[in-house]
Amino acid sequence: MRRIICVGNRHSAADAAGPLVYERLARMERPLDIEVIDGALAGLDLLRFVEQAERVVFVDAVRAGGSRGRVVVLTADEAAENAPEIYDHSAGLAYLLRALRCVSEGPLPEIWVVGIEGIPEGETIKTAADLCLSIAAEGYRAARQHTAPACGARA
Amino acid sequence: MSATATLNIPTRNAVKTTLNIPLNRVEGDLEIRIELQDGRVADAWSSGTMYRGIENILVGRGSLDGLVITPRICGICTTAHLTAASKALDAIAGIQPPPDAVRVRNLALMTESLQSDVRQTFLTFAADFANPAYRERPLFEEACGRYTPLKGETAIEVIRQTKRVIEIVAILGGQWPHSSYMVPGGVATVPSLADLLQCRHLLAGYRSWYEARILGCPIERWREVRSQADLDGWLEESAAHGDSDLGFFIRFAREIGLDQIGRGHGNFLSFGQLDLPPDTQVRGRAGATDHLIPAGFARGSEVSAFDQAKVAEHVAHSWYVDYAGGRHPSAGQTQPYATGGESQKYSWAKAPRYDGLPAETGPLAEMVIARHPLFLDLLAQGPNAFVRQLARLVRPAELMPAMEQWLSEITPDGTFYIPTPAISEGEGIGTTQAARGALGHWVKIADAKIQHYQIITPTAWNGSPRDSDDVRGPWEEALIGTPVADPANPVALGHVVRSFDPCLVCTVHALHRGRSLARQPL
Repeated sequence: MRRIICVGNRHSAADAAGPLVYERLARMERPLDIEVIDGALAGLDLLRFVEQAERVVFVDAVRAGGSRGRVVVLTADEAAENAPEIYDHSAGLAYLLRALRCVSEGPLPEIWVVGIEGIPEGETIKTAADLCLSIAAEGYRAARQHTAPACGARA
Repeated sequence: MSATATLNIPTRNAVKTTLNIPLNRVEGDLEIRIELQDGRVADAWSSGTMYRGIENILVGRGSLDGLVITPRICGICTTAHLTAASKALDAIAGIQPPPDAVRVRNLALMTESLQSDVRQTFLTFAADFANPAYRERPLFEEACGRYTPLKGETAIEVIRQTKRVIEIVAILGGQWPHSSYMVPGGVATVPSLADLLQCRHLLAGYRSWYEARILGCPIERWREVRSQADLDGWLEESAAHGDSDLGFFIRFAREIGLDQIGRGHGNFLSFGQLDLPPDTQVRGRAGATDHLIPAGFARGSEVSAFDQAKVAEHVAHSWYVDYAGGRHPSAGQTQPYATGGESQKYSWAKAPRYDGLPAETGPLAEMVIARHPLFLDLLAQGPNAFVRQLARLVRPAELMPAMEQWLSEITPDGTFYIPTPAISEGEGIGTTQAARGALGHWVKIADAKIQHYQIITPTAWNGSPRDSDDVRGPWEEALIGTPVADPANPVALGHVVRSFDPCLVCTVHALHRGRSLARQPL
């Protein structure tokens, strides 16, 4: 199973990128073996979804120093760089990715993070959703060959 | 602790200083300001630093929207908010959910607590035991081996085990995360026999691990501990007890004097939780006939019946439009007003009071109001951070036997929902106990829309600012007298505040300063 997990808070505009992409993906046609999950604020409780997958693409709001609407692709290690070391109620995606390496009881899937800078609008959401599907289907390196230049990939 | 303490205002007196301490391991980045005198806390102010306005978002939306929106207030207490929202709508509809629906609701809420209690204790609270401030203590090395974040043996095991047990909510709710399966009239899912067997398997696995690693004994043995003397005897009884994480917690807590800090007002509040189905074999604590965990209010160990009419919220020190005294949440208002009164107002959290008094809530309050003999004995010297955290650590032992019973009582493919007419008018209250304590939703519906929605969360009770009479909130009061040996690493302050298990995102009115995102940006 390949999964796209959209995280964030739909009731906070600055953090709503993941849920907005989820809504678009939920309406799109996709291969049967790509599951789209509204990961919302579940944080560490998303571990099970990751461990049982072959490839996982997370979608989240990011601050990577770029302009609003920029879409970036990060590796799991890059995304975990600023993770808090200690668990608390705000332990989000970065903490999850950091914890994953320590607690996983099986082989880890291939993990990518599609990040969106700022509060996204229609075209950005579409770009991110298309990118997620491509990466989930083919992996990042393959998807990169035919991805729109709007993707400011760091990976 | 990872919070940074900034020496903020040097004063004329060399021993009197003010510190601003953003407790950034707490969601919402709770900020505590303390005044130190002679190396101890002389005064404290607790500030939630961002307005969210969830209550105002709800007004004008469809009558059932609280079921979907309020569980998203917090990523940890989703089931508790869903429970409160559902109960408020049950009340408006005048519906009593069928017994098996009550069991399903209870089981999900209890599972959330099983996970939260263990994670908070060993991933957040006990992480401070590995703080360099304790490096000279004999037990320091062992504490690091157990609780160093993402390395300690217990820390790793807790993450592994708690990710499994929450699957019970996924099975019973039919969706995870942010399940919205509780509805007025019952639940929208019907567990099959296979579902129930899977839940029993998950619970049995968690119980087995909790007994072996956390307690070091069967739950039945632990529940024989009914006094301070019993506790001492239990600790010495076997190596398994002393070496368990509970045993280590007690030994380390005694070594660092955790029982000497965090006293507080000594008022306790429980809204009561886990409705008893009429045909259940589970018995309520302290003779309660309506809930497993009884409702009540206690001053010290004197318990009185809970009356929700005595709940009121004050805003004299909160960034809201002023009103005199306190307001019952059915007449409450959330009108942010962040200008003016700068010297007076300092938090986006309101100040809930019960019968005009501040009250702490959470597992310790539940134990006091349930007349638990061990905790009443331990409280003879007054509340403290040790007993508050101990109550949380052992609460799963109080819950799991009842969970097993309810799982065995559910009739597969039975009645889980009573058809309920559309809710277009009315007023209702949904109260429960979240993992962190008393949670209430006060709801009015008119023309099939939400006309009024007020939420009081556990952290609003525990982390409230001063009220109209300038009385400190519970953890503001609990901080008074706490020693601060090193202002750059005020680890004892963390112990006190974290013994309340703060979750400022749950104060609804509170979050962070300095960052626009609620979560750490990548």
